[in-house]
Amino acid sequence: MLFYAFLGCIVGTLVGILPGIGPLAGISILLPVTFGLDATKAIIMLAGIYYGSQYGGSTTSILMRIPGEAASVMTCIDGYAMAQKGRAGAALSIAAVGSFVAGTFGVVMLTLVAPPLAGLALRFGPPEYTALLVLGLVLLAYMSSTSLVRTMLMAAVGLLLGCIGIDVMSGHFRYSFDIKELGDGIGIVPVAVGLFGLGEILSTPSATVTQKVVSPRLRELLPNASEWRLSALPIARGSVLGFFVGIVPGSAHIIASFLSYAVEKRVSRTPEAFGHGAVAGVAGPESANNSASTGAFVPMLALGLPTGPVTAVLMAALLIHGIPPGPQLVSEHPDVFWGFIASMYVGNLMLLALNLPLVGLFVSVLRIPYAYLYPLIVMFCIIGVYEVSHAIVDVWIMLIMGAVGYLLRKFDFDPAPLVLGLVIAPTFELSLRQSLVMSGGDWLIFFQRPIAVTLLALCAGLLVLAAVALLRKDWRGRLARAQASGEEA
Amino acid sequence: MHRRSFVVGSAAVAVLGQEGWTRSGRQAWAQEAYPTRAITIINPFPPGGAADVVARPLAAVLEPALKQPVVIETKAGAAGQVGAQFAASAKPDGYTLLVHIVSISGFAEVDKLYGRPVKFTRDDFIPLARLIADPMVLLVNDQQPYKDLSQLVADVRRRPNELIYSSSGLHGALHLPTALFLRAAGLQMKHLPTNGGGPALTALIGNNAQMACSAIAAAMGQIRAGKVRALACLGAQRATALPEVPTMKEQGYDVEFYLWVGTFAPKGTPEPIVVRLREEIGKAAAAEEFRQAMKNIGQDVAYLDQAEFKAFWDADAKRVEDAVRQIGKV
Repeated sequence: MLFYAFLGCIVGTLVGILPGIGPLAGISILLPVTFGLDATKAIIMLAGIYYGSQYGGSTTSILMRIPGEAASVMTCIDGYAMAQKGRAGAALSIAAVGSFVAGTFGVVMLTLVAPPLAGLALRFGPPEYTALLVLGLVLLAYMSSTSLVRTMLMAAVGLLLGCIGIDVMSGHFRYSFDIKELGDGIGIVPVAVGLFGLGEILSTPSATVTQKVVSPRLRELLPNASEWRLSALPIARGSVLGFFVGIVPGSAHIIASFLSYAVEKRVSRTPEAFGHGAVAGVAGPESANNSASTGAFVPMLALGLPTGPVTAVLMAALLIHGIPPGPQLVSEHPDVFWGFIASMYVGNLMLLALNLPLVGLFVSVLRIPYAYLYPLIVMFCIIGVYEVSHAIVDVWIMLIMGAVGYLLRKFDFDPAPLVLGLVIAPTFELSLRQSLVMSGGDWLIFFQRPIAVTLLALCAGLLVLAAVALLRKDWRGRLARAQASGEEA
Repeated sequence: MHRRSFVVGSAAVAVLGQEGWTRSGRQAWAQEAYPTRAITIINPFPPGGAADVVARPLAAVLEPALKQPVVIETKAGAAGQVGAQFAASAKPDGYTLLVHIVSISGFAEVDKLYGRPVKFTRDDFIPLARLIADPMVLLVNDQQPYKDLSQLVADVRRRPNELIYSSSGLHGALHLPTALFLRAAGLQMKHLPTNGGGPALTALIGNNAQMACSAIAAAMGQIRAGKVRALACLGAQRATALPEVPTMKEQGYDVEFYLWVGTFAPKGTPEPIVVRLREEIGKAAAAEEFRQAMKNIGQDVAYLDQAEFKAFWDADAKRVEDAVRQIGKV
């Protein structure tokens, strides 16, 4: 049993590290391997791949600015900035410890309160989801280290790209130029890998001063006291936030990581440090995506309902082994349920033990001369992106996005809001229109449901706060100018 | 090109070359002894779907019989269109096959409806065998008062366009049977499309929709837990798993709909290869290993060989096309 948990964790870490191959592809590829095992071992191994990949995903993000999978996009920003300052080891350690704390917190919550919380997932219908995504859009404004206008511009481009594909409500192909593969829209992984990873690689040779490869000494691998202090609260907040967002159906762990980033930036006393290697910008999102991936098991185990593609494959794995997932899983197959839970406690420990000693090894990857390292990375990116859905279109999207990413970097645009726009747009559109189908076109539906109205009130509150802050800044500016001119006169 | 088949294929050629076979001799041998390299079965849906969980155990049984690897390649996209189109345009040499479900019959009709060029039709495929056919069931959630279909029909008739049904997506396998039922009963309901069978069931259980059709296997856990109630079975006979649920026909509605899974070869595949594949798939479908795997996913093997499958498919396609036209342009 332990062996399979260990195997799953190792494969998961690898899957997370390899750019392009996300947990879904990893689990799908290994699903047939589990046919020979019994159900408990199979689910333990496959779940290990899933949460293990959330640990591994941070590695390439921090070292090379390549998101190993979509949920690590946020880690690219400050993690990579930390690496450039020679704090790669610290960033990796914090990511590993944060992931451990969040993963364990998630399992404890799963053990104690899964059934009551599962009801919450069911109450999250289309109107609630719409409201959550509106909150996401509002928080997008906090995302960037560059100007607000640039952030909004990038987000808008992302939202527009997200409109490509078959319109779920009417069946029309939109902006797909007769390419059937675009019917499901533009994939998040090829865009993220292209914009961040390839864009970074392309811009390296043209940099006039080749940045020296920092090979840190051992004691520099570990975070120092102040870095620990700065990351403690973000890890705690990320764990709680991630778990609750994770329960919600959809691509929750991606949204969880960016919500956490936005929250950290909002509450930080030094928001200007974000984007330039803020420790909280690594600790928060890394914790959030881990506890979100655990939270996603709540509806799956307690209700037998998948919240996303990964849990759908895990449920298929149970089904193949003759265990119909449903609300009675816990009472009818307690061995599977508790074996699974127990494996997650152990699995998280294993991942910590696996990842911390590897920090030194990973950091030394940076010692490989770029001339050898970068072609290898490009190759892995291409294979990984192709492997996800065996579509050459995805490789082209990645290459084009690489060129776009290069230009964005040259002109100092942050690509993160673009990726988030792309994540939000299709889900937002679908849930908005589903809500309106439910209400017969009545927009009041968003104000008649308690969860939706709470989330929308939160959005309104944030906007008011932002407006007040802007006005105050403006007023102070005027006052200062008035004083200045008064003194002149 | 499939990496694995390429490697295996070149390895086979290399071995044969060493043994000093002439080119013509090798070709003659290849004709007799299909297959000489790995066979790829295209799964046009995301992993874990009905096509996937049927194709994988089938491939596992076929491999030792054909003495070649049988690889499942996932080419998901556009509700199964991408993979089907890929298989339709693959070289018809017996090395690229397709596994698909009931919705394969609808794509051409949908394209026509929207005035799009038709990418492929049913004629682009040679049916090999049907493997399973799960009758759909009509479900309501536990917050609805209806004890039987007549109560539901009466209530929907009293307040048209108020109750909502969820589906796996427009013209998808869960949408088509619901549309057929609504027409047969002369009812109007609102349609809540989602992006998959799982989300459709979630919407039903969360009471964001009140009714949905589903394959029995997918809903069995929820039926047994009492979260949803099956009011009608859409098979010709009652389902063995749910003997107490009456069929649509028993209740006076001429609606029949199955979530079936079948295998196909591209048009133009040589007859001897088709015959060989049919034989082997027939044997595999009877194998204990495959039956057990199907039992695990809550299915009985409902094998039909080419001739019967063709007849079934023709009749089924009429139902599907009918349903697509009934739904119309949205």
